[in-house]
Amino acid sequence: MIDLLQSLIDGLGRGSIYALLALGIAVIFGVMHMVNFAHGELITVSAYVAFGVVVTAGWAWWAAAPLIFLAAVGTSVAIEFVAFRWVRGSSDFTMLLTSFAVHFLVQAIFVMTMGASVRSFPRPDWADRVWSVGDLNIQIIDVVVIGATAATMAVTVYLLQRTMFGISLRAAAEDFDAARLMGVRSNKVIRQAFILAGALAGIAAIFFLMRTGQARPTTGLSPLLKGILAAIIGGLGNMQGAVYGGLLLGVSEVLLRSWLPEDLVGITDGVVFALIALFFIFRPQGLLYVRSAERV
Amino acid sequence: MRGLLSNRVGSQLAGSAVLFAVLVLGGLAYASGGAPTRDILVTQMLINAIMVIGLQIYIGNTGVLSFGHMGFAAISGYAFALLATSVERKARIVPDVPLGLDGVSLNPVVAAAAAIVITVVVGLVVGLGLARSGAKSGAVAATVITLALLFMVHEVGGAYADLTGGRNGISFSVGRGLDSRLWVFLALIGAIVLARLFKSSRIGRMAQAAREDDLAARAMGINPARGQMVALLLSVAIISVAASLRVFQLGSVAPSTFFFDYTLLTLVMLIVGGRNSIAGSVLGVALMTVVNETTRHLADVEIDGGPADILDIVLRPGLTDIVLGGSMLGFMIFRARGLIEDWEVDHWLRKRLGRPEAMPAPLQDAPAPEPAQLSAVDITVDFGGFRALERAGLEASNLEVVGLIGPNGAGKTTLLNVVTGLVEGTEGSATLTEQSAAGPEARTITGSEPFEVARAGLARTFQNLRLFPALTVRENVNIAALVASRHRPGGDRPTVEQLLVHAGLWELRDRRARELDYGNARRLELVRAAALSPVYILLDEPTSGMSNVESVAMIDEVRALASAVGAGVVVIDHDLAFITGVCDRIYCLDQGRVIAAGTPEEIHADPQVQAAYLGATAITETG
Repeated sequence: MIDLLQSLIDGLGRGSIYALLALGIAVIFGVMHMVNFAHGELITVSAYVAFGVVVTAGWAWWAAAPLIFLAAVGTSVAIEFVAFRWVRGSSDFTMLLTSFAVHFLVQAIFVMTMGASVRSFPRPDWADRVWSVGDLNIQIIDVVVIGATAATMAVTVYLLQRTMFGISLRAAAEDFDAARLMGVRSNKVIRQAFILAGALAGIAAIFFLMRTGQARPTTGLSPLLKGILAAIIGGLGNMQGAVYGGLLLGVSEVLLRSWLPEDLVGITDGVVFALIALFFIFRPQGLLYVRSAERV
Repeated sequence: MRGLLSNRVGSQLAGSAVLFAVLVLGGLAYASGGAPTRDILVTQMLINAIMVIGLQIYIGNTGVLSFGHMGFAAISGYAFALLATSVERKARIVPDVPLGLDGVSLNPVVAAAAAIVITVVVGLVVGLGLARSGAKSGAVAATVITLALLFMVHEVGGAYADLTGGRNGISFSVGRGLDSRLWVFLALIGAIVLARLFKSSRIGRMAQAAREDDLAARAMGINPARGQMVALLLSVAIISVAASLRVFQLGSVAPSTFFFDYTLLTLVMLIVGGRNSIAGSVLGVALMTVVNETTRHLADVEIDGGPADILDIVLRPGLTDIVLGGSMLGFMIFRARGLIEDWEVDHWLRKRLGRPEAMPAPLQDAPAPEPAQLSAVDITVDFGGFRALERAGLEASNLEVVGLIGPNGAGKTTLLNVVTGLVEGTEGSATLTEQSAAGPEARTITGSEPFEVARAGLARTFQNLRLFPALTVRENVNIAALVASRHRPGGDRPTVEQLLVHAGLWELRDRRARELDYGNARRLELVRAAALSPVYILLDEPTSGMSNVESVAMIDEVRALASAVGAGVVVIDHDLAFITGVCDRIYCLDQGRVIAAGTPEEIHADPQVQAAYLGATAITETG
């Protein structure tokens, strides 16, 4: 029982980061019908910014965090402006490959300018502290991440439900053409969607980097994949589903790690991918899919 | 000779030979008289070409973006290395290899053949999974499944050291057997010919139709899963050959041999020339090889005068990847279909050598068909909490034109969708009764897949026009005719060319469907449905978006086409003049229920119809 509780807390800590990324991916899918494989690059850029200000400039983490956040938002907007704006409305194939191209391109730019090697930076000293309650060992950072994610989600829900921005965004996700006819400006709503997605990724990046303390060109790949998987598990474009998908993915990863037999622990990620492939084979539409009438 | 070259298969073989010769001779010319590294580069380019053609067969024909093909290549590469490496060498690098592989050392050719078998079996399993996930062009689930395969293989390659040698992989020297370039040449020409013939084969064209519009393809009697599976197995087999050759040439295989870098390189090569063309794939390979070499060279030049040698290591991989990523992005934004789109060498050959096509004989009316009856009874459909249809139904003989009218949201299209298998009803059933030697034979069509319904003889069009946009007008109709020739009884049916003349599309036959204006596009969709040689043609708002004059002209077109192929017609429309002019009988739907049925005159006079739909003024205006 204690083990399960322990796994649940660890899993939610991981899953919170996935959920933040997945929500951003779902928001962009909503307005553009594109799965953004370049979403992980927001974390890569943030990682190098973190390396720059924490190591090179010697800033404290509390001062670096806002900058990391802004880096993710800025990158998100920049990518939209440079790449995605020009393929809007293209075929799914084109948009998918465009986002992959951006992913590769950003990675290559970092390989060229910063080198392929790992750049480490110190993590905040409280990140490793553990808080023991009976048999439970709770990492402080998990508590902070879960709390921050919950707060972010609350703000996001408020934005989506109560503000003009959120209402236009949800309308655009429902039916882009109709939303435009109702006076939603497409350029504006898409730009705002990228700002929101960038902000969510920025918060994810802060905690992800506090945990790993590393920057390299491929930093964003693993969180990207997890975020996309979570978004699809939740049913693509379903914002609520993306959050649940992220939390579910985090918890099941931790559980899997503790349940897997000795021989297979070395290839845990391989097993996770195999399970994910199986999941999509049997439920390609995701977990939380509501049947609706297809326009034909 | 001229006859052979203007013949379809003959010209394709000739075109393939031209492609092969240009690439190989170009490569050899570059290699001759240069440093030995040039020799290696050319071999690499030829192997890359085989790899990219392998990708083309799947990605090009199905439109499914697969990142897993390098996973297949890795499986094949490891299988080849494990089977071909000498026993002594294996004892040193993978001493604990399982499955009794420690005692196996095959001839490289046999090992490559075994690797193909193993990889194709894996491909079969993955393909079944992809089919289960409903893979179609641009489908995200399919891309993620293939991506998962790539990562899975990469993980196992890195972590399961007993089998794979871990991060360092397996390096070996297998001696003679594949070291002659002859094997590369053979594999390359084989891949080119196979890919070219597959592209024009029946199943290849059906896969392309599904790539262009999955729903329309299914409504035309195509099962997309089948074409995708065949394309996948074929492409995996070719990828496997290329992987063995690459591993042999490198003398080693490691997790990084077939991973993201190589995926990026081969994908860029595929899309630059045109992913729907074999000539385009070869062009892309040649072009990107030149570009890559040039950047590498440029990086060298900069370094010579540069500050430190360390830059050399940093700059090289980065610069190449920037060029690759930049090319991918640039092409997606400015020319997503590639430089030459779906052009092939044999198109040009046939244009130069082929004789001009004669206009076919005009279409005669088909003899009156055996009577058939389509009936839908008590169809109820719920979407979530919304009841779209409530015990609705219709009866139609194939000797008449039956209309379906009603205000927006009345459930007309939903009824059509249930009958054609696109939507599953909550209750009710539809049957198609045809005369056979043993008397009338009723067949339940509800619960069948859309492609089965189409093969049973129900051809439909769509409210929002669903053509195969990148295919030509003729090819659009041809696809339906192909399905008809396989799945529809009766031999004496009008040819595709006759149908095109009949619809006034003859002059436009080689245009792409996406280039047609609206009226012609509507006409094409109608002819495509007729080419299926159906018992019924079901039309969903054939005149929407048309002017009055065009709608009136459409009346004759629908009637003429129906009698030319001997099919009954069920038609949904808003246009009262059109529906009155074309129909023998009309059903009126309102809020999911049939509120009236009868001749056009009876419908006009029905008070319920007037109240629900037409309104008193509409009656006086038209009546």
